[in-house]
Amino acid sequence: MSTVMTMEALERALKWAEENLKADYIELRYEDLRKTTLGLKDGVFTSFTGKLHRGVAIRVLADGAWGFASTSELDNLEKKIEEAYKLARAAAQTKKEKIQLAEVKPVEDFVESKMKVKPREVDIEEKVAHLRELEKLLKEDEAVKSVQIRYEDGGGRKVLLTNEGTRIEWDYNYLYQGTYVTGKADGKLAMARDSIGAVDYGWELMTKHEPNEKVKERLLRKMHSQLKGVAPKRGEWPIVAGPIVVGIIAHEALGHLAEADLTINSPFKDLIGKQIAPEYVTMSERYVEGGFGNDKYDDEGVPVKDIHIIENGILKEIMLNREYAAKWGMEPNGHARAESYRYPPIIRMRNTIFEPGDHSFEELIEDIKFGYYVVDFRGGQAQLNSAFQVGIQEGYVIRNGEIAEPIRDTSITGVAIEALKKISAVGKDFGLEVGFCGKGQTAFVSSGGPHMRFDGGILIG
Amino acid sequence: MENLIRYAEKLFDEVEIAVYRSREVSASVELNEISMASTRSGAVTVVRGIKDKRLGLAIVDSDEERRVKEAIEQAAKMAKLNSRDEKWVSLPEPGKYREKPRPNYELKEASPDQLVEMLVRGIKLAREKDKNAIVVGGEGGVGWEESHIVNSHGIDVFQEGGAAFFYLELVGRKEGVVTPGIFDFDAKRSLDLDVKGVVERAVQKVGWAYNVKASKNEEVPIIFGPWAIAGLFSYALFPAFSGERLVKETTPLAGKVGEKIASDVITMYDDPFHELSLEPVIADGEGVPTRRNVLIENGTFKGFVWDNYWAKAYGTESTGNGKRDLRSGGINIGFHSMVIENGKRSLEEVISEIERGYLVDGVQGAHSSNPDNGNFAVTANPAFLIEDGEVVGSSVFLIAGNVYELLGQASEVTKEQTVMPSSTTIITPFIKFENVKIAGK
Repeated sequence: MSTVMTMEALERALKWAEENLKADYIELRYEDLRKTTLGLKDGVFTSFTGKLHRGVAIRVLADGAWGFASTSELDNLEKKIEEAYKLARAAAQTKKEKIQLAEVKPVEDFVESKMKVKPREVDIEEKVAHLRELEKLLKEDEAVKSVQIRYEDGGGRKVLLTNEGTRIEWDYNYLYQGTYVTGKADGKLAMARDSIGAVDYGWELMTKHEPNEKVKERLLRKMHSQLKGVAPKRGEWPIVAGPIVVGIIAHEALGHLAEADLTINSPFKDLIGKQIAPEYVTMSERYVEGGFGNDKYDDEGVPVKDIHIIENGILKEIMLNREYAAKWGMEPNGHARAESYRYPPIIRMRNTIFEPGDHSFEELIEDIKFGYYVVDFRGGQAQLNSAFQVGIQEGYVIRNGEIAEPIRDTSITGVAIEALKKISAVGKDFGLEVGFCGKGQTAFVSSGGPHMRFDGGILIG
Repeated sequence: MENLIRYAEKLFDEVEIAVYRSREVSASVELNEISMASTRSGAVTVVRGIKDKRLGLAIVDSDEERRVKEAIEQAAKMAKLNSRDEKWVSLPEPGKYREKPRPNYELKEASPDQLVEMLVRGIKLAREKDKNAIVVGGEGGVGWEESHIVNSHGIDVFQEGGAAFFYLELVGRKEGVVTPGIFDFDAKRSLDLDVKGVVERAVQKVGWAYNVKASKNEEVPIIFGPWAIAGLFSYALFPAFSGERLVKETTPLAGKVGEKIASDVITMYDDPFHELSLEPVIADGEGVPTRRNVLIENGTFKGFVWDNYWAKAYGTESTGNGKRDLRSGGINIGFHSMVIENGKRSLEEVISEIERGYLVDGVQGAHSSNPDNGNFAVTANPAFLIEDGEVVGSSVFLIAGNVYELLGQASEVTKEQTVMPSSTTIITPFIKFENVKIAGK
């Protein structure tokens, strides 16, 4: 009989496992969430979906290896824990280096939501009206041929229990809206995308922080810049990157290298403690107002800490979970995250940003005879050697110190640890974009920073 | 299911219930060692109901009757709140299905021990063949899925089957050079995975990658490997075959049926029954019979693919290309096994004739491609320099262009054909393209 699981039922199963299995560590993560997904495609809701997600993730460390079981079948949880235990034993058979976990203080807490208006408290009619209004606003522009909006919110209960005594319960909530616009003019087609989302703001995200008018303006600006855009001259020109592009470089090209499980095989491994950028460059993984990656604890129950990956140009800290903290002899800092009960937690970013400096935007561009200003991206990817490739959906030529004509369908590439050295000035403003990061499973993340100028190190075209 | 449909019919004009039960077992590698063995099991039920042309969807992580009823009620509530979709015609009717392939039941009961053994063997072999290589990641897994799609018009299709996969990611460190992550993989409908082949191919590529060569701006022949083809085509080309995009005028292929869009060597079709296919489904996500749909035949564009909704809205028939999106519960136009027909000569023979050119193993940034016009800008990485008929080192460069121009430059497809399980499963040979402009760095 699978009813809503109570803390007592989870406790009971955990107690049974502690008494009957020789596991070093047992972790149960239970979720019971209600989600709403609305997909509006050119006037028609192609998805109008209510979702009921309920299940348990079980992670067991035994004989120095991990076993993981995820199930939506909640009856006989004891048997599922035993299955995870057996999986750990199977994985451990040939293991030479036993996995150990950094010590942490068990936590008992209830994490309240910071949302003012939780999405589940908003009538679906209001959500529908909001999406329809955005579509209407966009379609008022004659060049817009197709609009697709994907909205999702979720809320409910998440519980974490470990045999070490951690008991955390979250009132867990989020909302997200992704908008895609296709435009056509003079036989040219162009596509633009925009995303907004939050875990700390509720419906106020849609009404106060990111109202439809604002989203519309951004999207139309991006679309028209491409429709009117010219192909850029390939080559290595001075580049001024806006907060969103700076953010994607921080996330894709540098952030992943600072995820401890990846650091080991990246150039960062030998660079910790060394100067890798000018002293006016600082890059952090930290709490940001409105950040999509904000949380109080991670999915191992470790409190989330702010860290400086690069501090005044020196490579300082990396993102850790308990396993890698033990490996590196460091303190875990709250970066173990799982997409849902279907996945084990792995090391993930949250909000990855460059810290602002002291230049105005005008100062960044004033002495550039010819260069490019890249504002927003469409897709980005990087390799462990920090080679990155970012598609540009909004960009402009800089000519004689001024912003000139837009460019279209292009991308920038470079090797981030080389490009870092070419940062010649850091702006004093700050911007943030929310998105999803894929690393076998999806995580809500933000990235951003100020405007930054690169004199070399980035190739456009 | 019968009584659930009856129950739902009271609330909807038409209704569809799809149940997916799955079990996955996998083991993963981190830094030369097995790090975790996992299993995922459970059921998901999707309810799609229509009342007065209003669509309602619900998803529940269960197949228990009580919870499916809860989902039916949820879907009915959603439909009530939705607005009318005047384009809606009806859910599909039953069709004539091909004979079901016999599933490999060995996969249903696969144990993690078998996967651990394969991975351990792969790691050992890789370390023996290249002492400077680290197996940074990898996974062996087996998935089994049973699906049951029933609708109120009489569709009732049960299907089951599974597939296994195995991949390793190697990084080589030698004399100050750190290679990019080098992948190789195998996937099939049995546990007889080619561990040795995966290791040999990966080690060979790592060997090439130690010798880093600068790239320059030039126009050269380029061979794309399966992983690179899957990456680029999934984003820049395949969406253009969608009937939905034809209706919405966002495909550059509108009005081009019967026209040349690629060179003669390119023949492409979607067929879940190809021998290398991982999911030989007889029905698509909404129960419509699948078939072989030719998209490009010797360079000529043959037509679009459709799901039930867009086909009926346009006044044609579904081609069996409705794919269930388990995140939204809805149906999107998609592909089962996209096949690019292979050729006669081996990759080695094709390479041996190239004086100067590149073999591109992977591309980065393909997802920033623009399917509305086929424009793309990707970084070729890992990519390998070919000189005088031999691979001599590795390089990184940028290719910016248009996928249709590129298809026109295709000059040969190799004999080898590989199944590439990415967002769209692709079965493809290596493809050689002539005079491709690249930007070096």
